[in-house]
Amino acid sequence: MLPPLLVAALASTLRMLSAYVLSVLTALVAGVAMARSRAVESVLLPVLDILQSIPILGFFPAALLFFVSALPRGWGQEVAAVFLIFTSQVWNLIFGVYSSVKSLDPSLFDMAKVYRMGRAATFFYVCVPAARNSLIANSLISWAGGWFFLTSSEVISMGSEEYRLVGLGTYIVEAFERGDTVSFGLGMAVLVSIIMATYLLVWNAAAQQALGRRLPSLGPAYEALRDLVSKLWGALGDALVGLSSRLRVPRYAWRAVGAALAAYLAAELALLISGSGGLGAGGLLPTLAAVLAALPVSLARVAAVVALSAALSLAAAYACYRSERAGPAVILAGEVLASIPAILWWPLLAGLAARRPYGPYVVSGVIFLQGSLWYLFFNLMVYGLASLRREVEEMASVYRVRGWWYLRCVFVPFLMPSLAAGALSAWGGAWNASIAAEYVDLGGQAIDLGGVGALMSKLASSGDYAGVTASALLLSLTIVLFNKTFWRRLFKYVEERYGGGVE
Amino acid sequence: MSQPVLSIVGVSKSFRQGRTSLKVLDGITLEVGEEFVAILGPSGCGKTTLLRIIAGLERPDEGQIVIHSKEPRVGFIFQFPTLLPWLTVVDNVALPLRANGMGWEEARERARKYLSLVGLQAFEDFYPRELSGGMKQRVNIARALAVEPIILLMDEPFSNLDPLTAEALRTEILDLWTLKVTSVRAIVMVTHNVDEAIFMADKLVILTPRPARVRGVIEVGLPRPRDRRSAEFQKLEDKVYELLSA
Ligand SMILES: Nc1ncnc2c1ncn2[C@@H]1O[C@H](COP(=O)(O)OP(=O)(O)OP(=O)(O)O)[C@@H](O)[C@H]1O
Ligand SMILES: [Mg+2]
Repeated sequence: MLPPLLVAALASTLRMLSAYVLSVLTALVAGVAMARSRAVESVLLPVLDILQSIPILGFFPAALLFFVSALPRGWGQEVAAVFLIFTSQVWNLIFGVYSSVKSLDPSLFDMAKVYRMGRAATFFYVCVPAARNSLIANSLISWAGGWFFLTSSEVISMGSEEYRLVGLGTYIVEAFERGDTVSFGLGMAVLVSIIMATYLLVWNAAAQQALGRRLPSLGPAYEALRDLVSKLWGALGDALVGLSSRLRVPRYAWRAVGAALAAYLAAELALLISGSGGLGAGGLLPTLAAVLAALPVSLARVAAVVALSAALSLAAAYACYRSERAGPAVILAGEVLASIPAILWWPLLAGLAARRPYGPYVVSGVIFLQGSLWYLFFNLMVYGLASLRREVEEMASVYRVRGWWYLRCVFVPFLMPSLAAGALSAWGGAWNASIAAEYVDLGGQAIDLGGVGALMSKLASSGDYAGVTASALLLSLTIVLFNKTFWRRLFKYVEERYGGGVE
Repeated sequence: MSQPVLSIVGVSKSFRQGRTSLKVLDGITLEVGEEFVAILGPSGCGKTTLLRIIAGLERPDEGQIVIHSKEPRVGFIFQFPTLLPWLTVVDNVALPLRANGMGWEEARERARKYLSLVGLQAFEDFYPRELSGGMKQRVNIARALAVEPIILLMDEPFSNLDPLTAEALRTEILDLWTLKVTSVRAIVMVTHNVDEAIFMADKLVILTPRPARVRGVIEVGLPRPRDRRSAEFQKLEDKVYELLSA
């Protein structure tokens, strides 16, 4: 029994790792390009804004179809799975790199230019080291986000065809379908152990060293890994810097490469859309009308989920802040819970879902929370708590500001900026989770809670790619509309009221 | 005058601020030979902009900069040290060399040579945050010299140091300059400090308030080391202040 489980665990970990490496490389290149070039910034910033908040799972069938048809058999699904995990990790990493390079002292770039350092050396020795800390902080969230999408990427049913990749997600789902409780339990145990081990040994240790945040971690393995990675990265940088100093690539060559890349991506996108049946195809109008009709239900659910996530995260942050002992436990528990894949919650809570009339709603709520809570949680834990300043604590204790008043006038206001940033990501995450939360097909027994997510899930499983893509686009449009109105105002208000820090 | 090293020919520059345009430099023409030139002018008149144009960091709207050399390398001593916090002192100095194709070992070897020239050989493996302000500025100087430039540009290089450190660094730069131990053939220094300019430079260039034009050029002509309390020094100082406030 063990060997297949071992193989599955290895395959999933490898899938996660390749998606993560891809995400980091993409984040570095895209983030630095955005921060350094006005032109790239003006194109990519709005595009990423949209990509970050759209239901990725909704576009997944189209992407899957594209990869499966474009690549040799066997590779297509694998690449599609890595791509899905990638899309759940990459956005916050890009924004992190972008803002840390953007906020660098501009005189460093003057220095690089005076000494004719060239793009490669500026990238490797100025930009990347500057982005390191934000990459580490954002990796805590991204790594969990990747695991969360793991099963969705390993088990995909599209119409009559179903793809199953070797991996932990598939292993656990199959064990559940067979009713094999032992394998199911073993699979879950292995999954949780891998998640815990990666956090304890790598991410928390990295965050502790680089950011000085006290997190539960075990140091030595990380140090070896860090040395290895920095050696590899250093060798790569050195090789590229040496190469580019000999080649002296002229400016217009970089522009040409950028333009070619943009043209290629546009062509691929057009291919993707036309490949998914063409958006102009007939029969889409009823689908779009159904999406519009289902919007209010889902919107209400998403809003409630974001509010609940904010409340829970604040409570967790307060607990961490008050108690030295509870802090690490709360964080580690959060990291593991955040990583448990979406679809596994159904089998885990299947008994409840079947036995009680409100059961499905509880399970759906859990999946919704999974997709959104953790953005808020990590934002408060990593950035929010770090912004509480000692002077203010001392002031509060001198003037005996305690309890409710402390929460209202000190704690929450200080956390407000990171609360708002987390809430925006949580909102996008909740929409994305709606696809897994509102409809699930458990071996013939379907639970359908209605809403846009359920609609899109059903379209996907009936193989209506054009319908899925069109609804995903319509939903994206709605979400972006909210981002540009409601969220923009909220951010402005928070920035004006709570942005300044201590005076 | 010795043979020219740098020619600034009719350089003008404006910055756009929203809809209005702010003229900063207005037809600056200046010939720099093998000498130490100090540029003086009222606050905000465009001195830094002129220096940035010479360094190639900014493009002039009109006019041009000619550096009379086959390898027109410049060193720039920034007002703030602009060291990379994630590199050691020696790597900070070696990086521009490495980025231009030299191997790391050779680049570090050269960096060490210039670090010892500014008295920092014992600190090569330190990180910038472990150094004092004066030591960081010394690394900045070593980095500028290590690329073996023809022209050394300095933008108020001593203005952020305590008076004692500033004076020590002035003397060090002057020693390096007068002993001709570096590749530098001309120095252009921007400063607010009239006393410092007369103490160090061969030639003073005084600019008008914005937009900057050349108001006057004064040859210092005092033997080194200069005595700040000498009558000639004082007379020169009065003359410069007169030009500056005219
Ligand atoms: N990139 C820029 N964009 C717009 N305006 C600029 C820019 N750089 C400089 N300026 C303006 O040009 C004028 C001259 O600036 P500059 O820094 O060259 O003066 P300066 O003589 O060095 O001043 P200081 O004595 O304060 O160092 C200032 O009014 C400044 O605001
Ligand atoms: Mg200036």
